[in-house]
Amino acid sequence: MSTPLQVYEPFRAGLPKLGRYWKSLWSRRTFIKEYSKSELREQHFASFFGQLWLVLNPLLLSGVYFILIVIIGGATDSSRYAHLTASLFLFYLVANSLTGGVKSVTAGQRLILNTAFPRIILPISAVVIAIFKFIPTLLVFLIIKAVVGSPFTFEMFWAIPVLLITIFLALSLAIAISCINVYFRDIASFLPYFTRTLLYLSPILYEASALNPNLRLIEIVNPLFPILDSWSRALVHGEMPEISSMLQGLAWATGIFFAGTYFFLSREREFAVRL
Amino acid sequence: MGLTYTTSIDKKPTLKSRVKSLGRGTKQTRVVRALDDINLDIQYGQVLGVIGTNGAGKSSLMRCVAGILPPSQGRIEVFGTVSTLLALGVGFNPSLSGRDNVLLGGLAAGMSREEILNNFDEIAEFSELGDAIDAPMRTYSSGMYARLAFSVAAVVRPDILIIDEALSTGDAKFKEKSLNRVKELRSDDRALILVSHAMQTLRDTCNDVAWLHKGKLVQRGHPDVIIDAYQEFLQLGKSAVIDEDF
Repeated sequence: MSTPLQVYEPFRAGLPKLGRYWKSLWSRRTFIKEYSKSELREQHFASFFGQLWLVLNPLLLSGVYFILIVIIGGATDSSRYAHLTASLFLFYLVANSLTGGVKSVTAGQRLILNTAFPRIILPISAVVIAIFKFIPTLLVFLIIKAVVGSPFTFEMFWAIPVLLITIFLALSLAIAISCINVYFRDIASFLPYFTRTLLYLSPILYEASALNPNLRLIEIVNPLFPILDSWSRALVHGEMPEISSMLQGLAWATGIFFAGTYFFLSREREFAVRL
Repeated sequence: MGLTYTTSIDKKPTLKSRVKSLGRGTKQTRVVRALDDINLDIQYGQVLGVIGTNGAGKSSLMRCVAGILPPSQGRIEVFGTVSTLLALGVGFNPSLSGRDNVLLGGLAAGMSREEILNNFDEIAEFSELGDAIDAPMRTYSSGMYARLAFSVAAVVRPDILIIDEALSTGDAKFKEKSLNRVKELRSDDRALILVSHAMQTLRDTCNDVAWLHKGKLVQRGHPDVIIDAYQEFLQLGKSAVIDEDF
């Protein structure tokens, strides 16, 4: 008899054949896109404004912080408002990836129990959804930037590599947390507190340069700190970010990616049993 | 091969019991031996029916063969591409139209966009939905849902096709239609595995039947012999209800 195309043996933690896995994942790229689009459409399906919420959400969020910073806080520096809006929108790209990713495997129970496919598609789809939600916020921010009179410079293009690093980080976190949730379901309940804490420990409500020197440890242990700082420098202030900050963010994203992906790929065959 | 897993039992999922159990650090569990020393060899050209009572391990076996559940003991070797119809409408989104769900369901089943588009007319015609294919699936009846889901799955032409009780959906006319489609798929270069409680369907369609009971393979052989033995075991007389062909 010829060599079997597929051999299934008892589950032992360890990586699958990565070449074959990647090929199978690549062949499913259209499914990832369509699945993400369908999930996004379903989120606002029954509402009056429907998909307009993709634009309304960032506008309303921006409006709330305008009230907080400018009207109540009395801030006159328009760059502070621009910094807050830009950083908040990028933060929510990561937060939405985490929120969508944490339940992506457990919510995909029906798919997992009835179809053989690379399970990593599920957290990847959660990140794709977060990216779809992020794109309109970028447009909203550019309009805000124009309205507050902040200059547009060529250095703003440095935001592109910063955005790519952020997406890489978001994907890494989504993959890791989706797998953790299979074994420790309480993490989904802890997550809102974690993201709220992360928001306050990140240079969103304040600029990175305004951080108390005694709290510099936050810069080191928070993977989002250097990324958001770079983002604000490029997009808001029109300056080239520090390469060391971008490399620090990339190092965090790479480390979490390898650890999270190893954990996920070595365990995914067990998901159907766990679910 | 065998399949064993452990499930936890939470007799009283209340806050009080959880606090008490946290302190003791104990957890009640139950070991489930879903499949026990199953030895099966299925060749191309065979249409294998799998029968057994509820909880016999039929669906677990199908999921192991499809690579969805890893076996706990032994080994499964698959020579060919596998497509499964273990549940209807996997990957479907009820908010979308039938047309959009054909794309989604086809992609979930592993087809490419081109394959789905090339076969769309065949899928739509087989489902007999007419204009309803452009309506959201949440407006469909269960029969309409099942017809479209089966139409999508039936378009796939794999080397090995596994169908788990999906033929029992829809009205009598559609049951006959879907059964005819399954019969069309029988060929020397394909293997079919059919899990069903419809004994007459299995007699008509299969050339081999395996009987599972409590995770073990009881008997395997000619459909008439095995099904008769199974029905005798269950102490059932012959009737349309028992054959589940109504």
